[in-house]
Amino acid sequence: MAQAVVTSGESSPVVAHEDAHQTNTGVSNNKLAIWVFLASESLFFGAFIATYFLYRGRDIGFLKGPKPEDLLNIPFTSVTSFVLLMSSLTMVLALAAIQRGDHRRLRIWLLATAFFGMTFIAGQVYEFTEFYREGLHLGTNLFGTTFFVLTGLHGAHVTIGIVWLLSLWGRSMQGSLPQERHEAVEIAGLYWHFVDVVWIFIFTAIYLIPQH
Amino acid sequence: MTDQGIEVAEPGAEVVSASEGSGAVVAHSDHAALSIEAEHHHPTPRQYVLIAVVLVVITGVEIATSYIDTGHTNLIILALFVMAAVKFFLVAAWYMHMRTDQAFFRRLFVVGMIGAGIVYGVVILVFSSTVLKS
Repeated sequence: MAQAVVTSGESSPVVAHEDAHQTNTGVSNNKLAIWVFLASESLFFGAFIATYFLYRGRDIGFLKGPKPEDLLNIPFTSVTSFVLLMSSLTMVLALAAIQRGDHRRLRIWLLATAFFGMTFIAGQVYEFTEFYREGLHLGTNLFGTTFFVLTGLHGAHVTIGIVWLLSLWGRSMQGSLPQERHEAVEIAGLYWHFVDVVWIFIFTAIYLIPQH
Repeated sequence: MTDQGIEVAEPGAEVVSASEGSGAVVAHSDHAALSIEAEHHHPTPRQYVLIAVVLVVITGVEIATSYIDTGHTNLIILALFVMAAVKFFLVAAWYMHMRTDQAFFRRLFVVGMIGAGIVYGVVILVFSSTVLKS
């Protein structure tokens, strides 16, 4: 059996990388938890994306309210999608910053990621408001139901991610996010990237695939 | 020895390092060694930016493709999903570090994704051909 003895130069032994090594398996419990959570989230979003495809175009013959092709603004949503994509870049730059002990850049990139996330949410609020003014409500038709539920749930996940990022920024400002706790940033990053990849498929499914 | 001053065992190797003081503790196994090795192979910021550029280019191609009106709708849908899958792979492999992180996490997530794909694929096919058939 392979073993490694970890000691410090002092009199007492030190487990230097506590996040990953205090488990029997050698797998970080926190990372295991977030991956299991993300796997369950895949099923969660998969259900709503599948439902969107199931109902897509089903009520086209007796569609009440505005039609999807009259409402969906691809150029506008492309910009917000680009913003969310860039937030994934700033997130990994935040992780790289804390891994090399650069706390100033960590805070900058965390704030940038949160800002991009807030911009995305602002775009979604604007879009929802426009659709509502055009007469599309949650219960107007199958498109309204599936669109608002799917994109709304995704927006809720982005909002949770923003709060998470800002809490990390606050911890860093208080000095309670040292370099050796970089796994906390990595786990928040895994959640954030997952939210991004879910949007990649939602963007394709709702906006890019031709309606007819 | 890593740059954090940690003694790391090679996977499968027996490594014992005595302390200068007393009370050395067997703290972790080759799994732990793997996790440290993995973290030290995270991409560089330059690589992260390069991946972002690729993602933006693919997104641009996706948007352009959605405006193409060829009459071959199925071909366009297939192309859009292939591009979305490539973007997913790039983000998962590089930004979520599935490429370099412990294989256990990768297996856990990939099995979940494949399972979800099969389940929802079957659901869509069955409902489309029976329950929602009009």
